[in-house]
Amino acid sequence: MAATKTLAHVNVPAAQTWNYLRINDISFEVPVPTTKGEVLARLPRLFDAVETGVGAEAASWIVSASGDSRYVEVKAGTHRAEPIVIDIDAATGDVRDTGVLVREGAEATVVVAAHGHADEPSTSASLLRIVAERDAVVHLVEIVALGKGAQHLEGVGIDAADGALIEVRQYALGGDKVAVGICTNLAGRSARLVHDMRYIASGSEQLDVNHLARQRGRNTRSEIVTSGILADSAKKTMRETIDLIHGAKGATGNEIETVLVTGDNIVNKTLPTILCDEDDVAGNHGASIGSVSPEQLGYLADRGISTTEAEALFARAIFDDAVIHAPEAISRAAALSRAEEVLGSEIARDVAEGLGLVTDGEDA
Amino acid sequence: MPDTLLSIQGLSAGTEDTPILHNINLSVDAGQTHVLMGPNGAGKSTLGHVIMGDPTFQVTSGSITFDGNDITELSPDKRSLAGIFLSYQAPVEVPGVPLYSFLRTICQMRPELKTTARKFRQRVADICKQLEMDDSFLTRELNVGFSGGEKKKIEMLQLLLLRPKLAILDETDSGLDVDALAIVSRGIEAYRQECDGALLIITHNTRILERLDVDRTHVMVRGNLVGAGDAALIDEIDANGFGRFEAALAAKGGAN
Repeated sequence: MAATKTLAHVNVPAAQTWNYLRINDISFEVPVPTTKGEVLARLPRLFDAVETGVGAEAASWIVSASGDSRYVEVKAGTHRAEPIVIDIDAATGDVRDTGVLVREGAEATVVVAAHGHADEPSTSASLLRIVAERDAVVHLVEIVALGKGAQHLEGVGIDAADGALIEVRQYALGGDKVAVGICTNLAGRSARLVHDMRYIASGSEQLDVNHLARQRGRNTRSEIVTSGILADSAKKTMRETIDLIHGAKGATGNEIETVLVTGDNIVNKTLPTILCDEDDVAGNHGASIGSVSPEQLGYLADRGISTTEAEALFARAIFDDAVIHAPEAISRAAALSRAEEVLGSEIARDVAEGLGLVTDGEDA
Repeated sequence: MPDTLLSIQGLSAGTEDTPILHNINLSVDAGQTHVLMGPNGAGKSTLGHVIMGDPTFQVTSGSITFDGNDITELSPDKRSLAGIFLSYQAPVEVPGVPLYSFLRTICQMRPELKTTARKFRQRVADICKQLEMDDSFLTRELNVGFSGGEKKKIEMLQLLLLRPKLAILDETDSGLDVDALAIVSRGIEAYRQECDGALLIITHNTRILERLDVDRTHVMVRGNLVGAGDAALIDEIDANGFGRFEAALAAKGGAN
């Protein structure tokens, strides 16, 4: 059996709370990297300064365990049509370390797709660091769609210069134990973050999330919207921090979380934090935790949908949304494969057919 | 199929502590268009919601029969599947659910509408075109961030997709500009022509009725049905208001 080590402090939030709440971090048992000798950072040094949401300890392990690093540069003023895809297969325990530099005024789409099963318990991971220069536009789509036996660590760090726009669509669709941590550093004036996360956790799955928006630049904007479903005896921890740093005059940050609880034994922990060291800023947090509202259930019932069916609809909707927004084949296949496991093959096929991704039976 | 599609007999209903509807008797035949008018607060919308089975209201006496079956105790989802459709005055926002997922789900659960995804997509595209709706609406969340007019178009889209036997339109025309009203009116007309469904239209605005042949008009005042007539009654109410109906109810001592 391969030697393992413990990462004791993964997904550490920007500000700690009471330890007894057990929300300050999560620990992971991971394989000891097999690389012999000294491991050098292979990415250009500017990426060393990029803070990732997963935490320094986990980031260091991912760099060591990856065995290789990938650097992509998008030239200034260009629009890269082909997405930059980071493909992670749990079956082979893939670990990826990637750096993306989006030059001034350029636009690029980055996709992280983690998928697959593991017959034996496996660990996969990805560390993605993005530097977005002035007026760059970055679309990041993350799909974590793992099956049984898979634990996964996913760290993202983004530095955004003046006027840069960062759009994140993050889908956590499955995996025995998954930690996703994303830190966006809105360093430049008027840099913006639009972050939309959807998740579903069922069975005994454990999902751990760390969202951190550091707003350093004047008039920066962050919008972080998270919604998801917890079923059966799933466990979820969510840390959401907006850090309004001294000097960020005119900055605004909003975070909102909606959780739909359908299981009797779920564990749902949330740590929303707004840190403020500047007067002329605005930060808001909203949360709605529970079941679907009576008004929504009433509307759905009037269209023939019972309460049980409504919960199934919400689950399907997450996969529909993931497939709609997956910009290329690997991430779409990952979401559809997971949909088949969670929703059943008939509905998964319907999702695919409905979006025109496969031809329905009649055309076959 | 019986000629009488909807039959309401001696129906009284209200909230836990407030009676709203009093001894309502109303019949709608298959394929007919009925209009329900009345001053604000008369209980018109409540009647629509009680027919749909809204648990907010309790039926204290009487019965509702639909398509030959007593549905008084039936849950709203069962009533919907039986063929009743209630178009909301203020459609509810359902974040997290793309419109496409919702439409596909409500159609697939009806055996008569179940079809392949390709045919479904085509059907939705045809109706969207008819209602001058952008296809991109389908990937947006159900009723979230749409204008009032767009929400009403989404209600019409559902109406034309589901092809119910009875559609109750609860002030579908409220808050619509002239152009949106014309489109929604065309949607209602299409429903009548393509589905031959019955309509119970709750409205204050007779413009929505211009494209329709009204079979019967009912007047509700303070939870009582106090008058009925043919389409000519609409013009009379337009000209004279509800005064004579309110006076008649007061004279009978029926006000509550």
